[in-house]
Amino acid sequence: MPKFDVRGLIVPILLLVVGALVLYPIAFLITSSLNVGDPQLFPPEEWGTGNYIQLFEEPRIIGNTLLVASVATVLAVVFGFIQAWILTRTEIPGRARLERLMELPYYMTPLIGALAWGVLLGPKTGLANQAWRSLGFSSDFFNIYSPQGIAWVMALFEGTVAFVMISASMKSMDPSLEESSRVLGASKFRTTMRITLPMVAPGVLSATIFVFAEMLGSFAAAFVLGIPGRFYVVTTAIWESALSYPPDYGHAAAMGLSLFGAMLVTLGIARAIMRHGSYATITGKGFRPRPMDVGAARYPLMGIAWGYIAVAVVLPLAALTLTSFQKFATVIVPQMQFTLANYETAFSMGSLGPAFLNSMILGISVSTLGVPVIGVLAWIIYRSTMPGRMLMEYVVMIPQAVPRLVFGLGLLWAWINIPIPIYGTLWLLGIAYFTVFLPLGLRTIAGVVLQVDKSLEECARVCGASWTYQMRTVTLPLLKPGLVAAWLLIFIASVRELGVSVFLMGPHSKVIAPSIVNSWLTASSELSAAMALLQTIMVFIAVAIMFRVARHVTGNQQ
Amino acid sequence: MTTTPRIEVSELVVRYGDTTAVDGVSFAIAPGELVTLLGPSGCGKTTSLRAIAGLENPYSGTIRLNGETVWAGGRGPKIPSEKRGVSMVFQSYAIWPHMTVFENVAYGLRVRKLPAADIAKNVARVLDMVQMTQYADRPSSNLSGGQQQRVAVARAIAFSPTVVLFDEPLSNLDARLRAEMRVELRELQRRLDITSLYVTHDQEEALAISDRVIVMNGGKIEQLGSPEDIFNRPVSRFVADFVGSANLVEGAMKGSETNGELVFETKAGTQIRAAAGKRDSHLLALRSSYIHFGGNEANTIPGTIHRRMFHGDFIQYVVDWPDGQLIVRRPPAEMLEEGSAVTVSFAARYCVLL
Repeated sequence: MPKFDVRGLIVPILLLVVGALVLYPIAFLITSSLNVGDPQLFPPEEWGTGNYIQLFEEPRIIGNTLLVASVATVLAVVFGFIQAWILTRTEIPGRARLERLMELPYYMTPLIGALAWGVLLGPKTGLANQAWRSLGFSSDFFNIYSPQGIAWVMALFEGTVAFVMISASMKSMDPSLEESSRVLGASKFRTTMRITLPMVAPGVLSATIFVFAEMLGSFAAAFVLGIPGRFYVVTTAIWESALSYPPDYGHAAAMGLSLFGAMLVTLGIARAIMRHGSYATITGKGFRPRPMDVGAARYPLMGIAWGYIAVAVVLPLAALTLTSFQKFATVIVPQMQFTLANYETAFSMGSLGPAFLNSMILGISVSTLGVPVIGVLAWIIYRSTMPGRMLMEYVVMIPQAVPRLVFGLGLLWAWINIPIPIYGTLWLLGIAYFTVFLPLGLRTIAGVVLQVDKSLEECARVCGASWTYQMRTVTLPLLKPGLVAAWLLIFIASVRELGVSVFLMGPHSKVIAPSIVNSWLTASSELSAAMALLQTIMVFIAVAIMFRVARHVTGNQQ
Repeated sequence: MTTTPRIEVSELVVRYGDTTAVDGVSFAIAPGELVTLLGPSGCGKTTSLRAIAGLENPYSGTIRLNGETVWAGGRGPKIPSEKRGVSMVFQSYAIWPHMTVFENVAYGLRVRKLPAADIAKNVARVLDMVQMTQYADRPSSNLSGGQQQRVAVARAIAFSPTVVLFDEPLSNLDARLRAEMRVELRELQRRLDITSLYVTHDQEEALAISDRVIVMNGGKIEQLGSPEDIFNRPVSRFVADFVGSANLVEGAMKGSETNGELVFETKAGTQIRAAAGKRDSHLLALRSSYIHFGGNEANTIPGTIHRRMFHGDFIQYVVDWPDGQLIVRRPPAEMLEEGSAVTVSFAARYCVLL
């Protein structure tokens, strides 16, 4: 049958293209990390491990990274645990809405979060510090340009995964385990100490390690709040070595790969704990744990839950809004000079207007072209019986494991050295975005592909439908919500992308996130605030559409 | 019979990598027949059904539908599912959640490009048969299990297929609804004269609805026969054990045939007259419902009632006898006390030598 021959070719071709996109930059990273000759040359003339040895000659950066990551992890896990416990195990008013709002800090992005907290608690000029000084104090309330400040922002905006993981482990616990403890005569307190906590402990521990690994690779907060005070962590050091003059790619690549290795090991440990230590709490069955009756304590608990939203969403957005409409940001009312000039500049300035346009073009085209390709990949990997599909899944998921910034470095070095002249164009950014969002798209679409029972497709065939008819009438309509969600998620991810863009953006291919950072580091915070808000609005509109689509779909299928 | 079988499977082998799911299965189904594939999970019954539907590619063997070869050992024709003209009811029902009940049922007709009026008429006809007429315009995503089941059956018969395959269609229903649907399915099958191949692991269901039953185990056919055959004359330990409730007694043959009866001596030395089965057997099967208390059948053996369990439709007794324990099922009207001495009695024709 000729059809089979065509389908047999699809897998090797896709594997080749995807494999090249994913593995080629990593191969470049590895070779340049071993290059001890002229760092500008490729292929290297001299090989050696000098770049790796050099890492240990500057323990300061390693120390900074570990310090910030540890503090951020502790904060994130404490916040996450408290929020998870309140939202899954207590009966506070408005719980469902709060749970939904918990997704917002993630969509805010650490970059916007860092800018906002910089606007709030920057030394001297920060709005909160201004207010503090106007009360008569002679020093700042808090200087956010510090390791603790960076960790605070990272915990708020990159630590939501701790909440997600811990509440998942709390939700997946069979309530009868606690009920049987109560029936056997244990008190509420004793049940919590002897049953509940030990049951969720492995989940909390693996969330801790997972978050720590994420924090090691975190870039935006350290970038925005660390660079002004020349406080470097490994990610910002990579950026510095790669983009300072003369660039030291070998050094940057060695740092990047070491970071990648450290994260892989840490994530491996987290996974092992998940697998071996998680008892039988994860049964795949959706339990609704019985919320504890906390009596009058539910109002203070509700206050804590809302307090988190205030600190992670409301306060930052308010600070950015207030700043963006002023000539010189201040909280002292008589000194306020309101203006729309920042927004005019954001749209009109020679380089910034195009950044918004470029980000929109990239967001729309990467998701529009990417979703069908990833859809085919998902179908091959999770539905077909074609040989090589397991390998394909593995390759597609690789960008997930590499810190975004490190992957960006590899892409930069790889595409500079390729004879196709696309460096510095939107084409390169588009290819790069597609590559790094492969795992995101695959996971989203796979979630729906796996939900669609195979017999729904088989039944169409038995009823007499050809493959194309079945695709058109059954498979695609059923996958539609997943495809729409994947489109929006890739769009959102593109519009807010920083780690890769920071390396690949050229003077004629500016995009939003790095432009905001540039404006923050070189121009005024008022302008940056306006740009940050515009980006946030774009993302939130897409998020709102996504939630609406999701609700529409679930409403239909129940 | 000279008519061409609707389904004819010979030497079917289906492999997944190194495991052989179906290992040389052959059978034929005549027009209008309802044949059941019965067996425990993993015995290859569903795989055989899926191979006939064209959803699995067999390793070897041939499949003919209405005399036309649709699969022949990977060398002959490979007719895809949609061209085989069979229909199927899936275990999960496979009701498309994004379509109304009407659209689900109309699917096979739309594929065949029937005029709209004919589609409407046919859908109305089959929805009426399964008593789902008033649900036609409902979205199919909020139907109960029983309703989904009816829609699945309506969809399967709407385009008048020559053969309908049923893959454990009742296994997701509760016991009461299952018994009801069993009757309805049989009614429908008889009324429309639909040739059916029906997969189930429920032996009661298989015996109740089938013209013939194929008992499968480990990818092979253990026994093929009418429900009475399977129940009264099992040919293997597996069939005796899997279908119905049977006592299996170990021992050896003693003496030769007299008046068509054989004598079997159990390990404890009890002699039992048996009428059917192998001549060199070491195992005797005796259905628990064919044993009486008292009476003067060919075999009478003393025992004591050890335990009595009231099941409603019958009473199950555990009787101590020389060879251990014997399960006896009696009608609920006949109530004996635990500990009382009894004589168990059973006819030679119900003793099957395996």
